[in-house]
Amino acid sequence: MNNRSSSSAKNYFPAPIRTLAVIGLLYLFLGGVKLLESGIKGLGSDFTDALFGNVSNPLVGLFVGSLATVLVQSSSVTTATIVGLVASGVVPVDSAVPMIMGANIGTTVTNTLVSLANLRNREDFKRAFAAATMHDFFNVMTVAVLLPVELLTGVLARTAAGIAGLFAGRSDLGGSFNSPIKSAVGWLATGVRDSIEGLFASTKALGVALVVLGILLILATLTLITKNMRVLVADRIERTMNAALAKSGLTGLAVGLLVTVAVQSSSITTSILIPLVASGVLLVRNAYPITLGANIGTTITALLAALGAGAVDGLTIAIVHTLFNVVGILLIYPWPATRYLPVRLAEALAEVATRHRSLALVYVFGVFVAIPAIGVIVL
Amino acid sequence: MVFSFFRSGDKAMDEVEDRIHQMLIDGRNVYDTAMEAVFGGGKSKKAKAAVKGADNEINVAQRDVRRALLVHASVAPATDVAEVLSYMSVIKDVERIGDYSKNLYDLARYGVNFETADDRDELAKYRDLVGQLISDAAATFQTRDTQGAEALVAKAGGFLDDYDSHVKAAYRSDGSPDVAVARALYYRFLKRITAHVMNFLTALALPLDQLDYYDEPNLDS
Repeated sequence: MNNRSSSSAKNYFPAPIRTLAVIGLLYLFLGGVKLLESGIKGLGSDFTDALFGNVSNPLVGLFVGSLATVLVQSSSVTTATIVGLVASGVVPVDSAVPMIMGANIGTTVTNTLVSLANLRNREDFKRAFAAATMHDFFNVMTVAVLLPVELLTGVLARTAAGIAGLFAGRSDLGGSFNSPIKSAVGWLATGVRDSIEGLFASTKALGVALVVLGILLILATLTLITKNMRVLVADRIERTMNAALAKSGLTGLAVGLLVTVAVQSSSITTSILIPLVASGVLLVRNAYPITLGANIGTTITALLAALGAGAVDGLTIAIVHTLFNVVGILLIYPWPATRYLPVRLAEALAEVATRHRSLALVYVFGVFVAIPAIGVIVL
Repeated sequence: MVFSFFRSGDKAMDEVEDRIHQMLIDGRNVYDTAMEAVFGGGKSKKAKAAVKGADNEINVAQRDVRRALLVHASVAPATDVAEVLSYMSVIKDVERIGDYSKNLYDLARYGVNFETADDRDELAKYRDLVGQLISDAAATFQTRDTQGAEALVAKAGGFLDDYDSHVKAAYRSDGSPDVAVARALYYRFLKRITAHVMNFLTALALPLDQLDYYDEPNLDS
């Protein structure tokens, strides 16, 4: 078209520049995790105990994970931060597991919010809301099954520790492992620490500054990585989505996983699906496995963060995140009796929400804000 | 399928545009097959299958293009907005070339044969004009030739009135009804194909809000 060039003008950075930028941003992201870890260590145990003591209650951990993810609109930021907390030794792996599960629930808010954009059209909204909330139902169901099991047996944490031990070459939790990434990132964190150390009167103040800097760096770099990757792989995503529209099952899972790993955000993947489902081009049931693939794909960020942190505990919690999502799918998806249960529940909720549209807003606020906030305050 | 993610290739919108271009080529093929039947070839299973098959491919391509445009709008919502909207609109015009060519083939099915008609040369003149118009539109689209599209719209607009004259002449004709009806339908279908090609070309030549309004005095502006 004659105005094609102008409408694409915002993509003014050539692909090689963007690729280099992503590599640089990844390095800064890992540096952010390391800064966070280093800052927390400097806060002192009295301060961190007061701050994170409550998350030893699994329900509080679950709500904190969910609420934090809703606030930053990114489970990748929350899980990377959790990896930093665990790697620093402030939050034990067992306490971090419910937080990771909460992050999984919180991340589904984004596509649910996107689905609300279809409120004006009944049928479109019904399909869109069902597609969005099936993700909510699946993740809540997985937590409902796996959290009690984990609290009783610790099976996810123990399995993850075993796998982390294999990767790290040692089995003692609380230890660390060396990797070229860790060394490179450590150099950055030490450099930043040394250069701002003189500005602060106490170790605690320096620790707070490093924590804030680390979180800001994680947030900013992940946002920019996602933005750049989305532009870099947009054509590949389109090709794959086009090919996957009429497919279901494992193909959808693989597509969801690939796209999410590429853009480092399950919210992007699941939000892309909403207009496709709303318009009727993609069936809710065909979007379902893509969403599940996105659940697994999003765990790559925590794994990357763990490589930068270089602590066995950090790697363990990152692997817990992956295991939780893989096991969740294995528990629900292969079995005909349970496979489409989240979809059916979501469709039933969408049916009700279509008749009483204000209920959709109540649902979003209640599930993603009110319940976790009340939970954190009361518990 | 999944491996298409790892395949490097054209930009997604380039693939959409290639598909639209191919639809125009297929439209020309259906048109030619229909015209061969009307100009002496007559109806045959082979021609019928060719017309039906090509028209079906155009219909499938239309839906594929619409889906691809929706995926593009979902994946990259801020880019190519004008293209997505205009292609979504003009793809219908491309599809109609196949539809009206199928209608032209139906004339042969009803027994129309222009090859031996007294006005054969006049009928063939417009057959060739429209055929060339479809091909030129495809070539213009492939090269995104805005000025070429404007020139084609102006040229095609020049013989729109001719079709009406021929339809009026058929209506007032004292000859046999089958001869008059065949000509009225023939020129009517050619006019529709011409109009749809012109609509399609406005996507290249005019701003988005002017799509389809090739007959208003805004082309020069």
